[in-house]
Amino acid sequence: MLSVIRGGRVVDPTAGRDAVGDLWIEDGRVVAPPGREPDRVVDAAGCVVMAGGVEVHSHIAGGNVVTSRLLLPDLYVSEAAPEGHPFAHAGGAAAWIGATYARMGYTTAVEPAMPPTHALATQLELADIPLLDRGALTVMGNDDHLLQLLRERQGAAAVRDLVALNVATSRGLGVKCINAGGASAFKDGALKLSLDEEIPCYGLTTRAIMGALLDAVEEIGVPHPLHVHCNNLGLPGADDSFAATLDAAEGRRIHFAHAQFYAYGADEGGGFRSAAERIARCIADNPNATLDIGQVVFGQTVTVSLDILRQFAGRKGAKPKKWAINAGDAEGGGVVPFLYRPRGPTSSLQWAIGLEIMLLSTDPERTILTTDHPNGGPFTQYPRIIHLLMDREERAREIATLPAVVGERSGLPGIEREYTLSEIAQLTRSGPARLLGLTDRGHLRPGARADVAVYRDDPDRTAMFTAAKLVLKDGTPIVEDGEVVEWRAGRTLSLAVEADTGMARRTDAYLTDRFGAGLDSFAVPDAAFEGPAFEAVACRA
Amino acid sequence: MPAWVKGDATDADTAIAAAAALLAAARAPVIAGLSAEVAAIRAAYDLAGRIGASVDTAGAAGTYAELGALSRAGALTTTPAETVGRADAVLVVGETPWRDPLLKRLAGTKPVRGRAAAADRTLLALGGAASGAALACPADQGLPQALALLRAHVRGHLAGASAVADLAARLAAGRYVALLYDPAELGAPGVEMLQGLAIDLNDATRAFALALSGPGQDRAVVPVSAWTTGQAPRVGFGRRVPEHDPWRFDAARQAESGEADAALWLASVPVAAPGWLARVPSVALLGEPAADAAQVVIQVGRPGRDLGGVLWHEARAALTYRPASGPADLPSAASVLARLGERLAASRSVPAC
Repeated sequence: MLSVIRGGRVVDPTAGRDAVGDLWIEDGRVVAPPGREPDRVVDAAGCVVMAGGVEVHSHIAGGNVVTSRLLLPDLYVSEAAPEGHPFAHAGGAAAWIGATYARMGYTTAVEPAMPPTHALATQLELADIPLLDRGALTVMGNDDHLLQLLRERQGAAAVRDLVALNVATSRGLGVKCINAGGASAFKDGALKLSLDEEIPCYGLTTRAIMGALLDAVEEIGVPHPLHVHCNNLGLPGADDSFAATLDAAEGRRIHFAHAQFYAYGADEGGGFRSAAERIARCIADNPNATLDIGQVVFGQTVTVSLDILRQFAGRKGAKPKKWAINAGDAEGGGVVPFLYRPRGPTSSLQWAIGLEIMLLSTDPERTILTTDHPNGGPFTQYPRIIHLLMDREERAREIATLPAVVGERSGLPGIEREYTLSEIAQLTRSGPARLLGLTDRGHLRPGARADVAVYRDDPDRTAMFTAAKLVLKDGTPIVEDGEVVEWRAGRTLSLAVEADTGMARRTDAYLTDRFGAGLDSFAVPDAAFEGPAFEAVACRA
Repeated sequence: MPAWVKGDATDADTAIAAAAALLAAARAPVIAGLSAEVAAIRAAYDLAGRIGASVDTAGAAGTYAELGALSRAGALTTTPAETVGRADAVLVVGETPWRDPLLKRLAGTKPVRGRAAAADRTLLALGGAASGAALACPADQGLPQALALLRAHVRGHLAGASAVADLAARLAAGRYVALLYDPAELGAPGVEMLQGLAIDLNDATRAFALALSGPGQDRAVVPVSAWTTGQAPRVGFGRRVPEHDPWRFDAARQAESGEADAALWLASVPVAAPGWLARVPSVALLGEPAADAAQVVIQVGRPGRDLGGVLWHEARAALTYRPASGPADLPSAASVLARLGERLAASRSVPAC
């Protein structure tokens, strides 16, 4: 079927397009104007037409997310089910996640922390998120098997083969390392770890582990660069860890997760001050580096992380006063409830720093909007954040309600920049798609997957981006006037990577010795899913 | 497809029609057991959501001892493989864990990873039959009280020479301590006290709780329930909103009080059926059939034997896929639940929600 979305303001920064025009779609793809009559016409007059949003870092599945629901049964509110799906209004549930993203015009979302030990559970949970295409990053960097290989200096090829095997077995889309060595160090009594501190029992450092993973990712040809969660998250002086980690990458491709939580320069008077300028400069000066924000929003949330060293350290700040840490196989996990106190001095400064990094960015395509859901706050706040980026008066009104520390310790109040719609598209569409190596989305050029969001152009950007007028997934309308109209299932994007059979045999023996169950028990077979769940993404040539 | 209605063998269509009629006539049906593969657990929640049933599990006593303590106080936990690999001290709380195969493995090996690698492993006992324990403390007043006393010694609130003081000292000297228990035996107050003990020990060393799994597939149900409904297993859909209430949706209580007027018992992984099942009109989907287990009994494939399925793997502490071990001409529980859902939707005068 040939469709045209007619007369909308089509915004596609990858094609330098920002003008009123038509968008043609056939068989689930964007096509060039074909010169024949369409079968269906969508009137988009007064609307903005963008590619579907792409999420690179949102905790939407996995053991920590499950634990957070059980630790805090009251965090979300459930409402009566709509027609067509019994669980779509079950607050915090997989169906609610899919529906809420889709209503905002997002069509792809990536869970950034899938431990290989729990890959099947994470993938089953992801597959139950309707409407969106999904993906997950395979976490490595604390597992004894990898650390053993490094300790015994078995060489880059062995590390590459083990990483490839883990990605292939868990069916990940990329690789992430989280405070590499930190979880292992925690189990051996450590309370903190920096880039060059020795990890007990292994004689290794974060620098050595991360460096090996950076090389492995390039060798395998993973399209998404190594996704790095640095040491010392959230501590005053974390900007030094960020800069040191960037230096340690030595020009290799690297993605920094939730950079806001590292933009905390130590203040002479105690506490921290914004290091947003330093972080933004680091990224500007290093074209192979990208970041996502981890913007903080005010209110109750829960922090979930495989960085158990950090979560253990943060336990005493839990609000309400309960938390869960699992010293699991490899990373484990930590769940600590947290209140970003409305108008509190610390949370206000954190809020300001996230916005400041985005507003100082010289390249929004390498600056991805996230709240590190739910760590900085829920992803449902994206429309409000976009509003603040696009409207300096709205920003000033909010700053006026906040404590003076925002002006004293951050540069936000002095920034006049207003994001354009094109820049918002870079922050939420083209940037994240390019970062994940997904060439078929994030843009509206002919050949693109017809994942399209149509918004009513409204100066109230919060309202505009909360409920899209129309969302297409692969050319099919899934949302109309902010409501889901078609409960279709997306696919989970997983990297097509070959695993070395020799490494598979070695790993099987290692795992059997450790777990009494071999590599088979780590598998994510198609047969475990109700229907076709996966779509292959090719490695870089 | 072997099936029985009121004890008499019948064909699949008749049994499914009888099961659908039984559920359609109910105002407050319960779907219980959920001792099954993930596909069947998902299908059970889907059916409950569509017909307004409530859900409960076979191992709820232990599961809710855990979940109650978790939602009140939190948890510090580890896994069986990390305990075997790292623990130099294991406190066995109560009687049940001594009968678990993990104990044998712990007794016969030494830690191999981390700072306690190659050290001897000490087994300690609180309130259990402690052959093989280096030190055993009784729990005459009950396990929660014994744990409270031990915790008071660990925190330094109590002092003086005693077996409990020795036990506290041993735990504090451990480099990776595991606290092994059966939540159903310990109960929610005991689990909460044990978690408090783990939290206190971590001020100076590393110590983690390790709970044994109970009967059935509760460890699989808990995550599926959480991602499907946003809540723990005991959820009711009577008001079209998933409502979590551990007391209200206790299937045994509902049956005994007369609140529930029909039940579907799901046990493709065999588990003992509860006595209350006989008190309400009931359907049973069973991996090991018994013709008189319920008014309508349908034999379904047993995961890992007759068909492939995702199950909780105790040693891996994870969901894993188990392929079929041989061919079998049995339907999956998920497919039977789906057929029931279709029939019930067709018989309803209002659209399914």
